[in-house]
Amino acid sequence: MKPNNYEILHALKDINFSVEEGEMFGIIGKNGSGKSTLLKIMSRILIPTEGSVITKKAVTPFLELGVGFNYDFTAAENVKIYGIIMGLTPRDIEDKTEAILEFAGISQFRDTKLRNFSSGMQVRLAFSTAIQTNPQILLLDEVLAVGDKEFQKKCLHELERFKREGVTIIFVSHDLGSVKKHCERTLLLNHGIQVMIGETDEVVARYEQSG
Amino acid sequence: MLFQHIRELYNYRNLIWVLAWVEFKQRYKNSVLGYFWSLLEPLMMLGVLYIVFSNLMRIQVEHYQLFLLQGIIMWNFFCRATSMGLSAIVGKPHLVQKVYFPRDILVISGCTTALLMGIFESVIFIGFMLFFQIPLSVNIIVLPVVIFLFFIIALGASLTLAALNTYYRDIQYIWAVVLQIGFFASPILYPLTIFPPLLFRILSYSPIAQVLYLARDVTLYSKVPNLASFSYAIVISIIVLGTGYAIFSRLEPKFAEEL
Repeated sequence: MKPNNYEILHALKDINFSVEEGEMFGIIGKNGSGKSTLLKIMSRILIPTEGSVITKKAVTPFLELGVGFNYDFTAAENVKIYGIIMGLTPRDIEDKTEAILEFAGISQFRDTKLRNFSSGMQVRLAFSTAIQTNPQILLLDEVLAVGDKEFQKKCLHELERFKREGVTIIFVSHDLGSVKKHCERTLLLNHGIQVMIGETDEVVARYEQSG
Repeated sequence: MLFQHIRELYNYRNLIWVLAWVEFKQRYKNSVLGYFWSLLEPLMMLGVLYIVFSNLMRIQVEHYQLFLLQGIIMWNFFCRATSMGLSAIVGKPHLVQKVYFPRDILVISGCTTALLMGIFESVIFIGFMLFFQIPLSVNIIVLPVVIFLFFIIALGASLTLAALNTYYRDIQYIWAVVLQIGFFASPILYPLTIFPPLLFRILSYSPIAQVLYLARDVTLYSKVPNLASFSYAIVISIIVLGTGYAIFSRLEPKFAEEL
């Protein structure tokens, strides 16, 4: 099945950058500019037609929270399922379940089925579980845009902790404020092309300029 | 390559197990009778088939009820394993598109769920064995090996089906028909000897037929496993698994895009 020539669309082309260990690196750009595709390539979910990604440490993608959540199972069971999908060991999960439920603010609903939870509670549970993984390279795709103000503050706090612990973080966001606040360097994509890479302030200024 | 992959799978053993367990548990979660269904289902099938085939068709087989029950349980395993394997990739787009782990894990855990269900159903079989006081021999120790070979064959077929089904959803419809034909072409309800000689010889080449013979020989009939059947099953299981992996690993890189 050969695609017709006029159907070929390069989701990404000529992308070339490196991220230092312990750095927090931003990726910004309009919808459809290829940000998520780039993250998926870095996570090995998609295989690039050309080129390669070289990583020195394990990559943990947070592309979507609650992957593998199952509505027929209880909160505690879902922590176990999701935790294992995210690479935790059963022992880790056993030890941390209480803490996870508490962080999510749903300790009293431990044995309630997930289907009875509000979407906010589900996301909080997912995030609380996901941060228990000890990431070395963390890929974040807009996942912080969840929950209420208070929970978002808790999330940012955890992110700061990761940063302090020397985790390399690649952060994709539309929230330019957060990018400016957290990332030293940023990459700007437009229609799959690397427009600019450098100091976050300059890159964000360029992006805002281009409208 | 091979050993590296086996080691990688070993590192993901918890994931394989959890996915299999979730699927197994979910089957009966919202039903009143729960796990009891998994015993009732083959039992009812056995009842109907027994009445039809022992009275109307007058099949003459030693321990026919057990012959039939073992056939049903093993065939059920194969059907479920390949059906779950078939939809392992297509049915779990989130696990393919949002996280990364070797994708054959989804197929392996699907087959493991089928195996769990099969083991669970075997409770009835054991009950029947005790009730009819069928004597066991040392040969029974070969049974786990036979089941393992059957699992490998089911897994190899599932890998092929899962990969192809991701590209051509027609596969699931074709496979449903193949399974229906397979049910009548395998020695489940009757021994293959009821067929005319030519057809008998052709159908005997089916690895499923050989596995069923082996399993029954060592459980019901206290026989030493037939060496020819046994070697045949081993060779076929290696070929089926090898082919499955060859197709699967070739198509795997594009799974996330095809869903």
